[in-house]
Amino acid sequence: MSQRAKSCVEIEPDLVAAATGEAEPAQSRRVSDHVGDCPPCRREFEQYRTIDHEVGRLASEGSEAQAVARSRERLEARLFDLRSRLVAYEIFPSAFGDILIARSEQGVLLVEYLRGHGRMAIKESRLTGAPGIEAVPVPGEVERFHRELRDYLDGRTHRLTWPLDFRLARSAFHRKVLEATAAIPYGAVMSYRGLACEIGRPEAVRATAQALRWNPLPIVVPCHRVIGSSGALTGYAGGKTTRKQRLLTLEGVPTVRKRDDFEVQRDAMYVLAPGEHEYCLPTCPSVDPFPRGGVLFSVRGRAEAQGLQPCGACRPDLHPLTPAQH
Amino acid sequence: MSKHHGEIYRYVLRVTGRRSDADDLSQETFLRAFRAYRSLPPDANWRAWLFAIATNLCRNHFRGQSRRRLAYAQVSVGARERQEEGPEHVALGREVGQVVDTIVGRLPLKQRLAFVQRKVHGLDYEAIGESLQCSAESARAHVFQALKKIRRALDGTEKEPRA
Repeated sequence: MSQRAKSCVEIEPDLVAAATGEAEPAQSRRVSDHVGDCPPCRREFEQYRTIDHEVGRLASEGSEAQAVARSRERLEARLFDLRSRLVAYEIFPSAFGDILIARSEQGVLLVEYLRGHGRMAIKESRLTGAPGIEAVPVPGEVERFHRELRDYLDGRTHRLTWPLDFRLARSAFHRKVLEATAAIPYGAVMSYRGLACEIGRPEAVRATAQALRWNPLPIVVPCHRVIGSSGALTGYAGGKTTRKQRLLTLEGVPTVRKRDDFEVQRDAMYVLAPGEHEYCLPTCPSVDPFPRGGVLFSVRGRAEAQGLQPCGACRPDLHPLTPAQH
Repeated sequence: MSKHHGEIYRYVLRVTGRRSDADDLSQETFLRAFRAYRSLPPDANWRAWLFAIATNLCRNHFRGQSRRRLAYAQVSVGARERQEEGPEHVALGREVGQVVDTIVGRLPLKQRLAFVQRKVHGLDYEAIGESLQCSAESARAHVFQALKKIRRALDGTEKEPRA
């Protein structure tokens, strides 16, 4: 068996580079000098050039055009489907424990108080196993919402104007309840009964409360502003009312502890009867202290920010509730 | 992003040799990319990143395929014959382009992936190295070895007498 000359072996990488257009000028010169004296290497050089030329043909855009177009069509359909299922989420620490915020293309679809930390927490999240949802942790994707939520919890902002996606609402009825709840203003409370009346289902008080128990968007859809007719906080996010009390206190709603629950001090809040445009003192003879469908405001300014006028009979503007009453 | 679909399809087709695989794996590349693109830095090289995903999928595909083969021992006679047929035989009586195409399809996987990325799609060795989880120099060596094999196959002989 013949042996290749050492110079031929050594020049081969340069020869390949030169034939395929990847050589530096110095390499090209070395190859040029070598192949001038070495016919077998010249032949190899030509072969590599032929290969390079043929490979260039393989790269031509036109090949497989129809198959590519068909595949692309299927890809577009699958991407469309994925886009509708894909949900980006992130978990943030807060004074209320770890909070998960998830968003779809339409908007925020889940704000969740997590039990536990890390992997276990996400396993127990409502995102896991939710039909038609593919949840992906994406750093930064919900940063804006986290920032605004933090501002809200620190009392720096009173409104969260987020695009919302109600797909995790369990029924059309639940969605209706959530939409009505979203309209309750900052610093105000309403009763479950009142909310049921508001959506035209006065008999469905417990169903209304259940809809709020499963509220996928607590804080943003302020279910903490819905309380029992007695003033008791009753429940929050399927658990204890401590968080609810903290949120109400943050909004200036006066509460007192009552055994293992809290109670809103209705006699320290302004009253708006349903259908009225005037707000009253809780002692006004023209209204019940917590009328069905009515709203209680902690501060006059919040009532007036809703475009309401003070009642001409009890004149809350002339006899405002004092801080002591709060 | 999906404007790159055509070239990813052709890349996978060149590597796997089957339209059905090119269809599946190219689509899977973009579905994966869609799930993850938001975590990419804004100045990332998208094209190289897509090739890296496709390369990974191709390698998994062949890994899974060889596992299945071992499990079921169902290698078809035709496939075995093709595997046993040395590259030196294919040069006889065929067009050069066809031969190159055929030999590329028979290169060892890493060489094939590196060769197609470099010579057909023009990716730089740095990107190829990243997609193959090796250095740029190793990627260059894979391409070099691939070219040597193709040339020898065209020549019709493994070891050529030299001056």
